[in-house]
Amino acid sequence: MDPQKNQGTGASIVARDITKIYGTGADAFHALGPIDLDIKPGEFVSLIGPSGCGKSTTMLLVSGLEPISQGHVEIDGKPLTKPISEIGIVFQDHLLLDFRTAIQNVMLQQEIRKLDKADMRSRADALFEQLDLVGAEDKYPWQLSGGMRQRVSIARALVHDPSMLIMDEPFGALDAISRTQIRHDLEMLWLAKRKTVLFITHSIEEAVGLSDRVLVMSKSPGRIVEEISIDLPRPRPAHLGEYPEFAVYAKKIYTIFEKLGVYNF
Amino acid sequence: MAQMSTVETSGGTRGPALPAWLKSGLLTIVAVLIVMGVWQVAAIAFDVPVWLVPKPSDFMARFVSDFPLLLHHAFETSKTLLMGFALGVLIAVPLAFAITSFGALERGLFPVIVFLNIMPKTVIGPILIVWFGIGPLVAVLIVFLMSFFPVLVDSMSGFRAVDPRLYYITRSMGASPAQTFFRIRLPASMDHIFAGMKIGVVKAVEGVIIAEFIASSAGLGYLIMRASGFMDMTLMFSGLIMAALVALVFNSGMSIAEVVLMPWARRSH
Repeated sequence: MDPQKNQGTGASIVARDITKIYGTGADAFHALGPIDLDIKPGEFVSLIGPSGCGKSTTMLLVSGLEPISQGHVEIDGKPLTKPISEIGIVFQDHLLLDFRTAIQNVMLQQEIRKLDKADMRSRADALFEQLDLVGAEDKYPWQLSGGMRQRVSIARALVHDPSMLIMDEPFGALDAISRTQIRHDLEMLWLAKRKTVLFITHSIEEAVGLSDRVLVMSKSPGRIVEEISIDLPRPRPAHLGEYPEFAVYAKKIYTIFEKLGVYNF
Repeated sequence: MAQMSTVETSGGTRGPALPAWLKSGLLTIVAVLIVMGVWQVAAIAFDVPVWLVPKPSDFMARFVSDFPLLLHHAFETSKTLLMGFALGVLIAVPLAFAITSFGALERGLFPVIVFLNIMPKTVIGPILIVWFGIGPLVAVLIVFLMSFFPVLVDSMSGFRAVDPRLYYITRSMGASPAQTFFRIRLPASMDHIFAGMKIGVVKAVEGVIIAEFIASSAGLGYLIMRASGFMDMTLMFSGLIMAALVALVFNSGMSIAEVVLMPWARRSH
């Protein structure tokens, strides 16, 4: 594979029949699957589904952070055997280190991966600019708002130019206003860099607002029950709710949830 | 908004422009002077003999005249304290890390640790004297035992408090175990370790004097004990003041170390 590919575009993710069972014997818990995934390089894919359906597990399996019980995963055509490092991860909680400033938290990537410091610092500065974090560099996490902390954790996930980004309900803990803004900022960043994104969410608005494709999952043990391509122009507007095209997609997802018994009205 | 900030500023700058620490420092000195004054007047008025309760003027004069002696013993006490405390921290922190890293170690060792922790440490003194003879070593070991457990217990809770999902992120970075320990786990546990060390230092100061009472040939505890044998009240009282000063130095030392080593913890409350 040419090195240019990793630099520019995102990775492809192919998963076949992946299943996760936690524990063994009588205590075994079937958390996920079997599910298949086919994510193209540079694609923005959301996983949406009820709580506990195995969305987060899917993310841990395709990044090699948790062992797969059955099935296999290929990243860029190569079988996954250990945690992949060409990746950036963002969780619902920012998980920043309290004892490092915003910029030091981002530069942790440089320190651990032993990358060039000046080069990474200029990349970090550029990300701070794009994520509206200028001036927050030398602040400690407790001095930042929830939205800014999450922006710093996005910068940390992207500073080493990974080919894929996995985000586990990254905006779940934010207020509605910050969420809309950061969603737009993420979309702009993605449009500029075209990394493969696997985005896990509870929010239909986020899923439709950001994704090329939305995969709808059933209740535990999670399976992918429907795949919806979102054919809306980008960048997508802030108030999606006002657009009838959005309502069509939202309705589709709601209908699936109703069929699955996610709602009980 | 503008109004709110004006209120805050005017509240902060009202009165003479003295920093808060200076204000409370001055108040403390005034309070001490008042207590000493009342004591002095009462001791003279009721004609209390020096061998029973010395006047502040008596033991302050002794403190000044015997300052070199007191300083020598204060230095011995500090040396014992520092060695015992450092030994405690150097063993407790790595042990806490080992215990929290291996479940078997925790199940096997924790009951022993709890037992040793609740046991009054000074009872070991006579045994240690048999083993090592009277001398500073026994005092060091008692200080070590006194300060060891609070540091161990708090370090353990510190190492446990790290969010395990953080390790997903470090694993995705390809971090080695050493990198994970020195860049994530240890600094993330520092506030807990410091909390343990602060308790440990208080225990160590307490322990060092008792240890010197029973098992040493130098130090303030030894000096006070010897003065007690001669009913030398003024020397005992000046020894007491010196012991308080040693405690003050060590406690302030911890606070300064905390500010220097953990700049991130300087949050405004």
